[in-house]
Amino acid sequence: MSQNYRLDNNGLINRDKKISFKFNGKNYFGYEGDTLASALIANGIHLVGRSFKYHRPRGFFGAGVDEPYAMVQLIRNNESIPNVRATEQELFEGLEAKSVNCWPNVNFDIGAINNFLNKFFPAGFYYKTFMWPRSFWYKVYEPIIRKTAGFGVVSTNHDQERYEHKYEYCDLLVAGSGPSGLASAYAAAQNGARVILAEDKPRFGGSLLTSEVSIGNQSGQEWVKNIISELKSMPNVTVKNRSQVFGYYDHNMLVMSERISDHLPKTKKYTPKQRLWYIRAKEALISSGSIERPLVFGNNDTPGVMLSSAAKEYLKIYGVLAGKKPLVFTNNDSGYETAIEFKKNGIDPVILDTRKDPSSEIVNEAKSLNIDIKFSYVVVAAKGYKKVKSADIAKISDDKKQLSQIENINCDCICVSGFWTPTIHLASQSGNKTKFNEDIDAFIPGQSKQNETVLGSAKGIFTLEETLKNSFEKGNELSKKITNKENKISLPSVVEKKYTNHDKFWCVPLPEGKNYKRFLDFQNDVAVTDVELALREGYRSIEHVKRYTTLGMATDQGKTSNLNGLQLVSDVENKVVPQVGHTTFRPPYTPVSIGAIVGREIGKHSKPTRKSPMHSWHEKNNAVFVDAGVWLRPRYYKQGNENLFEGSKREAKNVRQNVGVCDVTTLGKIDIKGPDAAELLNRVYTNAWLKLPVGKARYGAMLREDGIVMDDGTTTRISENHYHMTTTTAQAANVLSHLEYYLQLVWPELNVNVVSTTEQWAGAAIAGPKSRDVLQKLFPDLNVSSEGLPFMGYIKGNLFGVNARIYRISFSGELAYEVNVESDNGNFMWEKIMEVGKEFNIQPYGTEALSTLRIEMGHVAGSELDGRTIPYDNSLEGLVSKKKDFIGKRSLNKTAYIAQDRQKVVGVVPLDKKTSIPEGSYLVKDANAKLPNPKLGHVSASCWSVEYDNPFSLAILKDGKNMIGKKLFALSPVKNISIPVEIVSSHYVDPKGERVRS
Amino acid sequence: MPLLILKIYMQKYSVFNLIKNALKGHKDWEVAWKNPTPKAEYDVIIIGGGGHGLATAYYLAKEHNITNVAIVEKGWIGGGNVGRNTTIVRSNYMHDENGLFSEFGMDLWRNMSQELNFNVMFSPRGIINLAHSDAQMNVFSRRGNSMRLNGIDAVLLSREEVKKFIPMADFSENVRFPIFGGLMQPSAGTARHDGVAWGYARQADSMGVDIIQHCEVTGFDVDNGKIKGIQTSKGNIKAKKIGLCVAGSTNILAEMLNMRLPVETHLLQACVSEPIKPILDHVVTFGAGHFYCSQSDKGEMVMGGDLDGYNSYAQRGNLPTLQHVLTEGIAMLPFLSKLKMLRTWGGIMDMSMDGSPIIDKTHIEGLYLNCGWCYGGFKATPASGWTFAHTIAQDRPHELNAGYSLNRFSTGHLLDEKGLGTKTWIS
Amino acid sequence: MLHIKCPHCGLRSQNEFSYGGDATVKRPELNKEVSDQDWDNFVYLRKSPRGKHLELWQHISGCRQWIKVERDTLTHEIFKTLKANEEI
Repeated sequence: MSQNYRLDNNGLINRDKKISFKFNGKNYFGYEGDTLASALIANGIHLVGRSFKYHRPRGFFGAGVDEPYAMVQLIRNNESIPNVRATEQELFEGLEAKSVNCWPNVNFDIGAINNFLNKFFPAGFYYKTFMWPRSFWYKVYEPIIRKTAGFGVVSTNHDQERYEHKYEYCDLLVAGSGPSGLASAYAAAQNGARVILAEDKPRFGGSLLTSEVSIGNQSGQEWVKNIISELKSMPNVTVKNRSQVFGYYDHNMLVMSERISDHLPKTKKYTPKQRLWYIRAKEALISSGSIERPLVFGNNDTPGVMLSSAAKEYLKIYGVLAGKKPLVFTNNDSGYETAIEFKKNGIDPVILDTRKDPSSEIVNEAKSLNIDIKFSYVVVAAKGYKKVKSADIAKISDDKKQLSQIENINCDCICVSGFWTPTIHLASQSGNKTKFNEDIDAFIPGQSKQNETVLGSAKGIFTLEETLKNSFEKGNELSKKITNKENKISLPSVVEKKYTNHDKFWCVPLPEGKNYKRFLDFQNDVAVTDVELALREGYRSIEHVKRYTTLGMATDQGKTSNLNGLQLVSDVENKVVPQVGHTTFRPPYTPVSIGAIVGREIGKHSKPTRKSPMHSWHEKNNAVFVDAGVWLRPRYYKQGNENLFEGSKREAKNVRQNVGVCDVTTLGKIDIKGPDAAELLNRVYTNAWLKLPVGKARYGAMLREDGIVMDDGTTTRISENHYHMTTTTAQAANVLSHLEYYLQLVWPELNVNVVSTTEQWAGAAIAGPKSRDVLQKLFPDLNVSSEGLPFMGYIKGNLFGVNARIYRISFSGELAYEVNVESDNGNFMWEKIMEVGKEFNIQPYGTEALSTLRIEMGHVAGSELDGRTIPYDNSLEGLVSKKKDFIGKRSLNKTAYIAQDRQKVVGVVPLDKKTSIPEGSYLVKDANAKLPNPKLGHVSASCWSVEYDNPFSLAILKDGKNMIGKKLFALSPVKNISIPVEIVSSHYVDPKGERVRS
Repeated sequence: MPLLILKIYMQKYSVFNLIKNALKGHKDWEVAWKNPTPKAEYDVIIIGGGGHGLATAYYLAKEHNITNVAIVEKGWIGGGNVGRNTTIVRSNYMHDENGLFSEFGMDLWRNMSQELNFNVMFSPRGIINLAHSDAQMNVFSRRGNSMRLNGIDAVLLSREEVKKFIPMADFSENVRFPIFGGLMQPSAGTARHDGVAWGYARQADSMGVDIIQHCEVTGFDVDNGKIKGIQTSKGNIKAKKIGLCVAGSTNILAEMLNMRLPVETHLLQACVSEPIKPILDHVVTFGAGHFYCSQSDKGEMVMGGDLDGYNSYAQRGNLPTLQHVLTEGIAMLPFLSKLKMLRTWGGIMDMSMDGSPIIDKTHIEGLYLNCGWCYGGFKATPASGWTFAHTIAQDRPHELNAGYSLNRFSTGHLLDEKGLGTKTWIS
Repeated sequence: MLHIKCPHCGLRSQNEFSYGGDATVKRPELNKEVSDQDWDNFVYLRKSPRGKHLELWQHISGCRQWIKVERDTLTHEIFKTLKANEEI
């Protein structure tokens, strides 16, 4: 296909490199340097999609980030990407794109019936209907609405792209590379400051790329080129294009997203698609420019209606004609630049200027070029459905209220200019309270809140000379403060055209008898009547208007619509705009890829994985792993076709009968040293610690100040002033912080140091009647008899040349030891244990068998210590000292905690001795009581008792101590289970604790 | 009191009225609520024009015939957390007090559009809490069983069943915490948050409640332990009873009353993606972290998770929190990485010391307190309004909110769903 | 992301710290009589002002010291940071 709308010579594209692409299944070509939008317009394509609500035809309105219309589904690298702005997407070889929100196709869209019924769908119509019958909202109406809404489609396969993060510090971050950005960055760079210059677009230069100016005898474009190449050569400057600074956060943290590969057909190997930069800048210079405002008139959303600045950009950067019979509709001088550019390229534009008799350099130039200019004229309505074919125009009275006779004028595009809106988003995000500037009818930044400085047209300065002067000064001043160097540059001479005042006119009145839709928000189909309706119905706050009409809530976030919306509200409400105020600017300035925000922490890496030093041994020996927080622990070691139940039963049984070994490396370990260590433990634990002898361990529970059990574990006195504390796997980090809190803030007088040694020690629990035999083999020189190493005793040993610590402690209720060696020797220790234990039938056991063993012994663990139970609930009252004070003690006398019928841990056995009781079941008196059925307690942990070969559970039961022997029901409605049970003691096996002392 | 009762007929919303008005160019729609100047005195003043305050006023009028009521709101109604949440409606609680209270609310939700004659778009699409270990499945069983025994619907889902509902979740090998199953409350869902505020406002207004916006409370008149009125930016207003319904600002008003409450103020962010065609039909929560997600009727993925983690009154958050939340989002729904984050916002939360709310009388006669909603304020809107209205009208809590007493922190009858205690910023 | 000046280590990003809440809470002394009311106030009541707030942070991925930070809860501006044993 030929590019009928491409000029022969204008533009910055590379005409030597043709690029072919596909749109809606048809082949086209463009040039390197095109956007999808410019290439489509060059090919005469103006219909790209359909609007959100009414499915009206949508073309191109802008040429960049402000684009409200031109959203496509992009196919790139075998991935279908939704909601890509054609005005931002650079063309690459083989690009494929499709229209969205239309069916069966963009030319003939069934959904467009909404447009013909649009009078029935005003703002908020859905609040007023779809209510009958009741179930129809969810079953009928909502699914239909959902289907018609949304834009693109996302596939559910995993993202193959890579995203990275970068953290950067700099002196000055300059956001935007227009005249103010370049000047300030350049001045700061000259003073030796570390500067990052970020430009959203592929090309640097901003407005200088399209304006007819000269700086120091160079054209704007040449000046940009020279400055950029000089900046790039400086080691203290980072220059980034395709990089949008989208958020200004606390403490001068700005975040930028860099699009590294989006413009390429494929992401290069080892290269990310996008990179997110967290930048801590000492100073942020906001040179984000301004966005042209639309003028509001009938059918102003028809494809072919476009911002005048965008039409100029298509001409000057891409060599593309937005139309061949353009109409320029303007209230200020900017529109003339576009008209003149058309004229220079052999196209005759017509200018409709709302002003009566403006006089300025550029107006005179247009006149001298014999451009047809109609003053005091407006476009009443665009004509044409899928493309502008003509325009109804009329002369407007001086008070802008009366239209004269309507005339029709042929045109194929309408370029609108309603003056400029400074892009104040970043400043506002910083906390800057914006103020309304009457001269430009827009908000500009006020007093800086953080270290932000706004420059150029973002601040409402529209002349180049003032912009450059101010920006050189600011760049110099701010950088000098940081670097203490000054290398001042003199302001180059500037030639630019002088503008005259704009007209405060923004919305064309409706002619008598006409009911044109005049749109404010083009993507969400919010028209003037919608805002008027909202106000009529009492939705008068600007936030109410926004929410009721959805004005400014589309993917362009109202970049072109918000201010006109404010104008309308203030007109109707008879207020001035600043009284109405604007809605809050929040990050991101423009939508940011979620993949980029997340970065590399995806899939297996979404959270860290911690493994014990014995992990590979477990793997080799068929361990089935289970996540314990971020740790991986063997759950059981599968033999043959065993399932979890069979395997864990075998392992537990072997512990009860012979000996087993369990990897307990994951337990939290804290080294506690200092003369006051015992005193600390005495305050932290509920039981007494002052008299624990060296070489002895003790079990303890610690509370939060609210009396709830926080954690339990054993602590061993290694030497006079040295203790080794163990915590549960889950609470390790919390307990350390807890100790540090009390030591540093509450009792700084205690001379104690604590440090985590979880990673330093590998641990193996050897448990079972034959564990002493195994231990003796491991440490042939040690006396490991009950006298040499009594229950709760501790000794050091030498394990085949490796230093070891041996604790006689037990979680399983059997005779048991825990051996610790330095982590590096963990695997060696484990293999030695397996080797010497072979003759005693040692088997490794996992967490499931560990659970079984502790449950039938009645030892409480995480499922009982669930952050809601006090010591009494867990039968730990024996550990609660009556004599001394400790953390949380004072809370234990609360009414609920000392109630006679307070809950307590008990054992539960099914009457049939066969049916396992699922964990999470509730205990009730009457299985068939009417709901809500009063609950007496819940089953916290269940196992198959290997001792008695029947199911056994622990439960926390109301009035538990008086319930032993009672018969209740265990109900698990979610599993459809009801089991008659008997309440027994929680100490099901060896209630006297003889085995551990054997 | 005047004997003449003025029945105010409100314009009805219906498809017929919509068509009728459309043909007249929508010129005849009445205001949804008026803009009155405050009277000198009211029977009841509700401070806070959010969802809970508006609902309270509505139920005071409807259930207790108390219509001489004003709602005073410092900004615009619905501008607080009712307008900045993730719109989830559910009653999947473990504690009886929370479960029964919320389930009572579910009944109100189910009839709300019809009762308010305002489509709040209640969409009972089901909520699925994903579990990533057997241990978590057991915790969820417990919660599900508790719900069922309280008459609330709950279904335990296997991995395969979860896959049927949300096949786009991560069922691949390349996953850190595989999905083991989930707990579903089929009757839970979402509602249109703004619509709830506006619907209550419109009905309350029609029954004679004065909705006074842009009216900031600057002080209280308390005499001899009894509330007498408030001082506001629009002058002093007397009242026999005053209800505080200002989640996020509770501590500021409490300070004016020399009260300290077991509530801290924290910031919670949420965000939406760009709109896409329907892909996710349920509300889903991640079990190996804190992330929740649903798709709005507009097509946006609505996402939230952890607090920013420090006391804050700023309705603006920082990106690392969202990064953390979205990391968990991608871990659950990998396709999210291909979408763009469109909008973010922040709400300030009343985080209570046990994670459950407070609806109670105070030591000041005639002053009532409704606060501490933590993450769960939106879904509680109707039940909170209903029980708070009862508490104010009858001067005693209803049995549904008896558990939400202020003195539970002294007695130890705490309602800690998560077992995290007083570190409100940990989630 | 907040930028917190650890009095021991210097300016660091917030993600190195963990939050610890109101720094003005004083634990009643051990082994001393304390009324129910005072105890409950200690356990459950926190200052939560809009404006200046003295709060605790722990430099958990750094020196592991608990520090005090005076910060504005509305603007998040940090005015001062102190060591655990320093008073404002």
